[in-house]
Amino acid sequence: MAKPVCDDGTLRAIEQLIYEWARLCDEDRLESLHTLLVEAGEYRIQSRYNADHGLPLSVVHTRSGAQLRDRITSLRVANVYEKHHYRHLVSGVQVIGVEAGVHEVRSNYAVIRTMEHDGSMAVFSAGQCRDRIVFDAGEARFLARHILFDSRAIDTLLVIPL
Amino acid sequence: MNTTTSPAALRWPSAGPSRAPYWVFHDADIYAREQERIFRGPVWHYVGLEAEVSEPGSFKTSRVGDTPVILARDIDGSLHVVVNRCAHRGNLVCMKEMGRAEAFYCVYHAWVYDLRGNLTSAAFRRGIRGEGGLPADFDYKDHGLRKLQVASFCGLVFASFADALPPIDEWLGEVGDGIRRVLHKPLKVLGYDTQRLSSNWKNYHENPRDSYHANILHTFYGTFGLSRASQESAMFIDGGGRHQYFWTKAGTEKKSADYQEAASGLRSHNADYRLEDASLLKWTDEIGDGVSIQILTLYPTFVLHQIANSLATRQLVPCGPNQADLVWTYFGFADDSPAMTDVRLMQTNLVGSAGLVSMEDAAVCNMIRRAVGSDREDASVMEMGGRDLVSGGTTKLSERGLRNFWNTYRNDMGL
Repeated sequence: MAKPVCDDGTLRAIEQLIYEWARLCDEDRLESLHTLLVEAGEYRIQSRYNADHGLPLSVVHTRSGAQLRDRITSLRVANVYEKHHYRHLVSGVQVIGVEAGVHEVRSNYAVIRTMEHDGSMAVFSAGQCRDRIVFDAGEARFLARHILFDSRAIDTLLVIPL
Repeated sequence: MNTTTSPAALRWPSAGPSRAPYWVFHDADIYAREQERIFRGPVWHYVGLEAEVSEPGSFKTSRVGDTPVILARDIDGSLHVVVNRCAHRGNLVCMKEMGRAEAFYCVYHAWVYDLRGNLTSAAFRRGIRGEGGLPADFDYKDHGLRKLQVASFCGLVFASFADALPPIDEWLGEVGDGIRRVLHKPLKVLGYDTQRLSSNWKNYHENPRDSYHANILHTFYGTFGLSRASQESAMFIDGGGRHQYFWTKAGTEKKSADYQEAASGLRSHNADYRLEDASLLKWTDEIGDGVSIQILTLYPTFVLHQIANSLATRQLVPCGPNQADLVWTYFGFADDSPAMTDVRLMQTNLVGSAGLVSMEDAAVCNMIRRAVGSDREDASVMEMGGRDLVSGGTTKLSERGLRNFWNTYRNDMGL
């Protein structure tokens, strides 16, 4: 069995950060997402297909709190889409390394999307979160969230962050 | 050449190309006829980029309509497109999306084909101990993979099931100029994005031809100032009426009173919102003509876009009457600096499945498909700029491109 690379309290704090992000998405409190990132933090959604083929393209890539906030403003005031909700299922949170205070973390996610207009529910996305997490004045924050979704296809559109 | 007759119940509205009857979007017989007459008919279909098969022995799988095909580059550098279906019992001979191969090998009975689709061996051809085996007169030459015609234009590869069709540059006509403008040097693929639509393929095909909707539906443009309907723009349609492109130049707003009045009523015109970090919208005029957006549509399933410095092809793959995949292939140029590659990658935030500018196109396609349901009486109305194939000129506020599409479609379908 792999030896834990951090103490239990650190692992709990990291898990809470990951769960908090998921709950903000599911409860439509997207305006708070940026507070879980350091201001220069990176948030990126890439298909496993591109990553496996060594292709750099991501479908979402923000490199600062400002860019993430712009994306949220856009989905509130500009973008047009049918109302829907997410339910995140998060599992398997593992800290796989720590270097210079940066915790390298892996977890699995699945997102069930429910469409408001007809109530249809389906697995919209599933994959792996590759997070780099730091502690700032005792608080865990994402330095980088890199979400790799397993399918190469996205049903209709991706507007609410994963 | 149109031998089958139009289904009796399906009559195109008398108003002609300014109408598209809703049954074209859901009727199963229409879908089957499209596969026969358009996708397996005398039409050039985009299948991929030369840059995706740059090395001898490389291949990628693609689709022509709903038929799976393989695009391969043989050892001598020549390009070949064959149906991805074993000539023996119809299994896929290539299971990978892309890669390198010396031959295509059917896993079912080990029939092997070269990169041009010629059958080179079949397991137990001579049987065993004098029993079984293929007939003595079985000729490999008669049992290759089905081969398509292939043509290349500025690094785009096209294929066709038909033997007799015009050369590719003649097929593209004046719209070829729009391709030459963007694809002027060797390309480098940056990645893929497949957007799955719950709509008919034609719901999406209409969309990039429709320059009227751009500044109305896509409010990101107007809200954050990348493009406005008042900017200098132009639209071109080839002489055959199949293909079109339009462009817009950022920073050329007209201060006309009628625009101010019309725009004040649009949802997209909102002076209150600013991006905190507008670096996403900074672009380099790399071609040097001031064009910030060019959207080019080829009949029936291809789009080439330049949106600021984001460059991509979009290939529309029909999957039955009610589903289609839109495959976005993003690229830059082989000689791009790392900084330029980074600009293109970051501008992907604007386009594709999660694109701040264009994500709503898919939502609208799905909603149209639901609204149309199984209707067999009504039709859409396309009279912006006039009712015929020429009226509307070169303005973006025109549905001339749509009328030309439906006219071509009707002719090809014999409807």
